[in-house]
Amino acid sequence: MSAYLLNLAELGTIFALLSLSLNVLIGYGGIFSVAHAVFFGVGAYAGAQIALHLAPDVLLAALGGGLAAGVLSFALALPALRVRGEYFVVASLGLQMVATTVFTEAQGITGGYGGLVGIPPPSLFGLDISSPRLFLSVCIAILLAVMAGVHALMRGSFGRSLMAVRDSESAAEAFGKIVPILKTLAVVLGCIIAGAAGGLFALQMSFVNVESFTLDQSVLIMAMVIIGGVGTLLGPLLGTALLLLLPAALSFLPGIPPTELGAVQQGIYGLAMTLLMIFRPGGIAGRAEGRRWGGR
Amino acid sequence: MLVLQLLTSGLQTGALYALTAAGFALIFGATRIFHFAHGATYALAGYAFVLADHAGLPWPIGCLIALAVAVAFGLFTDIAIYRPIQRHSASFFTVFVAAFGVVIFIQSALEITFGRSFIAVSSALTHASQILPGLYLAQVFWVAIAVTVLVFGALGWFLSRSNSGIALRALAENTELLRAYGLSARRFSALAFALGSALVVPGAVLGAATTGLSPVVASHVMLVSLAASVVGGIGSLRGAAFGGFLLGIAENLVVAVLDTQWSEAAGFVVLFAFILLRPSGLFGTAVAR
Repeated sequence: MSAYLLNLAELGTIFALLSLSLNVLIGYGGIFSVAHAVFFGVGAYAGAQIALHLAPDVLLAALGGGLAAGVLSFALALPALRVRGEYFVVASLGLQMVATTVFTEAQGITGGYGGLVGIPPPSLFGLDISSPRLFLSVCIAILLAVMAGVHALMRGSFGRSLMAVRDSESAAEAFGKIVPILKTLAVVLGCIIAGAAGGLFALQMSFVNVESFTLDQSVLIMAMVIIGGVGTLLGPLLGTALLLLLPAALSFLPGIPPTELGAVQQGIYGLAMTLLMIFRPGGIAGRAEGRRWGGR
Repeated sequence: MLVLQLLTSGLQTGALYALTAAGFALIFGATRIFHFAHGATYALAGYAFVLADHAGLPWPIGCLIALAVAVAFGLFTDIAIYRPIQRHSASFFTVFVAAFGVVIFIQSALEITFGRSFIAVSSALTHASQILPGLYLAQVFWVAIAVTVLVFGALGWFLSRSNSGIALRALAENTELLRAYGLSARRFSALAFALGSALVVPGAVLGAATTGLSPVVASHVMLVSLAASVVGGIGSLRGAAFGGFLLGIAENLVVAVLDTQWSEAAGFVVLFAFILLRPSGLFGTAVAR
């Protein structure tokens, strides 16, 4: 396998974790966050700092990133408990905008625009796993473990209660579900996974800066979940694969100048989101008919 | 003097935000559609005006072209996107994602066509002159304020006195009753989209003349008008106008204490505080959770 493909596969695994985690919020919790890149970013900065100052251990970076993002996720849980639907989307947009500024300005921790450079190659329990193949295997192992965990959780009592809250908050409450706790847990769980993905991302790139954690990134993650299919286990993975392969596929097409690739790519997934919502709102892996939960 | 200077530029920015947010609030109030693509309307109108200006057309023609583009695009989103979606699902989520997709698409289309950099029209109106010691004001300030007052006056008159305006407010309150009176809800929702989209034109034209336009402006304006309408109370015109001014002033005044990088964040801190403490906004009714 060439280095390019390995690199793409590593990124794919990390983004699969991300879209999987956003799916916990959007798909199972009905909590529509457009601030997911914030927690990805917090995790990446935490992971990078751990790798720079403690040890570049993959598990340590993922755990540290997850912990940092989990703690900060209360900034998202708070508005999720107060408002829903449109209002929550707007609140998370606000959080994303403020966080982008903080990432840029808090240069002591994040390095500002310059970012954090020179993150050492990854290791695992002191073993060097800097070869792409080894690192990829570790990432895939983490992804599979998280997928199994999320799958089990969503099939169990927690997941069922959460989906009940998503479909009808008042009905769930009438059945004795404690709505605020369920919602908070969903937000914290999703953000911890996003933070862990951030920690892996820092080690994979060996460089992080604010450009990876902007609103555009949040929208990309959201597009992966939606295009793949919300509330399904495999949908987000499918969406991730499609959207990550898109730039690669586009670069083979003649007639698109490389400088415009980013814009063309964004245009395509913007269009795809709109068309899917008109013709197949469940996403590619979702059910063909409209979703059941309605917001109002 | 710095504070006064910032206050005037805050008022000027706020006036443009207020108009755009009022358009958003009008559409949401009448149709209950959370029109995220409103920012795209703004960007398209602005670019249309700049193109007309670069083609050597006089500015009134440019404004008319911008108006036509804005109204056409607003109606297009209503007819081609929201209506087909609402036929099969009334969920907020589906409408939101589709509108968001439109914003992304328009933004990248503008980026591909016109490039990423700012474009602007030059006008004698924007040359600032000293009014008081240390206070510089360009004539465009007075234009912005006058246009805002005029448009809000006309809008207020339309909504409270004319038959169509009253029907529009009825649509917001009780769609079934409107139908019972033999009026077409569909026609009035199209009217709301046309009118709401037309309200972006003054902001887009003045924005092109003062700060300039870039493709990102679509999402920025979307965010600001959303924020303004939430702060004011979603669906309330008065609230949106007030929220627009509040955000414009907050954005500018924060420069007195912090770096300019924080100015955008300041608006969103205000927004976040409102959502946590008073989610119904200043003029809104209580939100159903």
